[in-house]
Amino acid sequence: MPGVLVYIEQIDGAVAGISRELLGKGKELAAALDGPLSAVVVGQGVAEVARQAAALGAETVYSVDDPRLARYTTDGYVAAVRAAVDAAQPALILGGSGFQLRDLGAALAADLDAGLVVDATALQVEDGAVSAVRPSHGGNVLNHYRFAAGRPVVALVRKQSFAPAQEGSAGSVQSLSLPEVTIRTEVTSVAPKTGAVNLTDAAIIVTGGRGLGDKESYYRLIPPLAEAVGGAYGASRAIVDAGWVPYEHQVGQTGKTVSPKLYIACGVSGAIQHLAGMRTSRTIVAINKDPEAPIFRVATYGIVGDVQEIVPLLTHELKSRLGR
Amino acid sequence: MHIVVCMKQVPRDNSVKINPDLSINADGIEKIMNLFDEYAVEEGIAWNERHGGKLTVLSLGTEEWVEQMRRALAMGATDALLLSDPAFATLDPLAAAKVVAAAIRKLGDVDLIFCGRNSTDDESGAFAPALARSLGWPQLTYVGKVLELDPATKQIRVERHLEAEVETVSAPLPAVVSVIKDINEPRYPALLKIRKVARVEPPVWSAADLGLSDLAPAATLTNRVPPPARPKGELISGPDAASKVKTLVDKLLESQVL
Repeated sequence: MPGVLVYIEQIDGAVAGISRELLGKGKELAAALDGPLSAVVVGQGVAEVARQAAALGAETVYSVDDPRLARYTTDGYVAAVRAAVDAAQPALILGGSGFQLRDLGAALAADLDAGLVVDATALQVEDGAVSAVRPSHGGNVLNHYRFAAGRPVVALVRKQSFAPAQEGSAGSVQSLSLPEVTIRTEVTSVAPKTGAVNLTDAAIIVTGGRGLGDKESYYRLIPPLAEAVGGAYGASRAIVDAGWVPYEHQVGQTGKTVSPKLYIACGVSGAIQHLAGMRTSRTIVAINKDPEAPIFRVATYGIVGDVQEIVPLLTHELKSRLGR
Repeated sequence: MHIVVCMKQVPRDNSVKINPDLSINADGIEKIMNLFDEYAVEEGIAWNERHGGKLTVLSLGTEEWVEQMRRALAMGATDALLLSDPAFATLDPLAAAKVVAAAIRKLGDVDLIFCGRNSTDDESGAFAPALARSLGWPQLTYVGKVLELDPATKQIRVERHLEAEVETVSAPLPAVVSVIKDINEPRYPALLKIRKVARVEPPVWSAADLGLSDLAPAATLTNRVPPPARPKGELISGPDAASKVKTLVDKLLESQVL
């Protein structure tokens, strides 16, 4: 029976966290489909990552190792994954939902005439058919889809949706050669983002909004609090549009969607566009002078008060209590 | 050169309701041009001003969307094209891409397509890649800067702004490009231009015009629900700011959030 194929992402030569989650969930879904769990590793010099994936529950790991795959290109990577799809004939293909994966997953689904779900937060198999839940409309709507059996499904999953797979199995690695493909795009340089803020990966985020009053207050109050809790700092759309803070830091519908374990909103009113980007944070702290501010409706803890007074006190208190 | 910009109309905010038949109810919410598409329109206009030719704003929607198309015309688009048909009402992004690909083929002379990175309602970002594959063109997604667009050599060179790095990538035309928010500063349409395009009715192409029939989605929508409510929060009280802050930190440490 057709099973599940997991696309393995790599970070510093190791299997990425999202891929561990997908191998864990993939095992369960493959069992429900009564098919095998396989994985595909694409790149150059990926033997070690392939070996790791085989230890994480994939029965067969397809490795497509080629100098032309040293960098991501849509043409090269779609061709490589298709080689694994042809070999495994999966009912379900799982991947993460970062930018490159969205580029790859949608292209792959279009080429395969497959079903596609992006940002899946739940996946299930019933009577041989895949069903999925995905949020839309800034998290205000949860859509439940059921895919017809007999047509493959590409599911790109939001991280931290499933428990990661544990090591301990011994699958095999099978090399596949990159099929003949014309790679039309050429990556001429790759540079780390200057002042890159990986908000999406941050465990703690401190965000400032219009209530801070001005740009100077933002930089005087927000980064020090973020530093005190070892977090990243974010911004509401209003102050990004006002030019106080670069777009990189924007949380919300047209910025980043984040889900940290702690989100501290300072002088953020909580416009629906902002809530869309952070409402799934585990603990939300809101500090705002307006007790009617919508941010308090999603807050775990709220303090009604002046950010200019509260934030420095909070930074000081956290620094001394956390010993930083 | 002929540049096409794909544009979608969306509700200004996502405080939508769910109808009993599971369709989305955005009644009473102002409709706007999808924010990322506004950047795509601006980028298209800027390059059209430099290289001349046509800039077509294309939408797959209903007559209701014409207002946003007029806005794009007032910003500087030279042409507009609406794809509309009852059969297009519930398309998923992959099927939408097939429809738009058919229209692009019918137009025949398109060199470049700009799209927003995603719509703010569906949020999948699947449309631009699916469109590129449906056309068999290269795709450049999450573009934060177009460095070069050369009609003579038919090449485009862009920066893709990913989570932690910036890639410089070149591709031959025709190509599909999806843009992010900080690529440019969209212009406001001039009042005079708004008046000038107020009665423009874009041509409408139907499924039959495009020779399309089977657009059945791969998935059935079986349910649509609001998210579970967050547990009720707690407003921290105290005689002064310092005591409130102390109570808050106590709670964060007790619950092992920190």
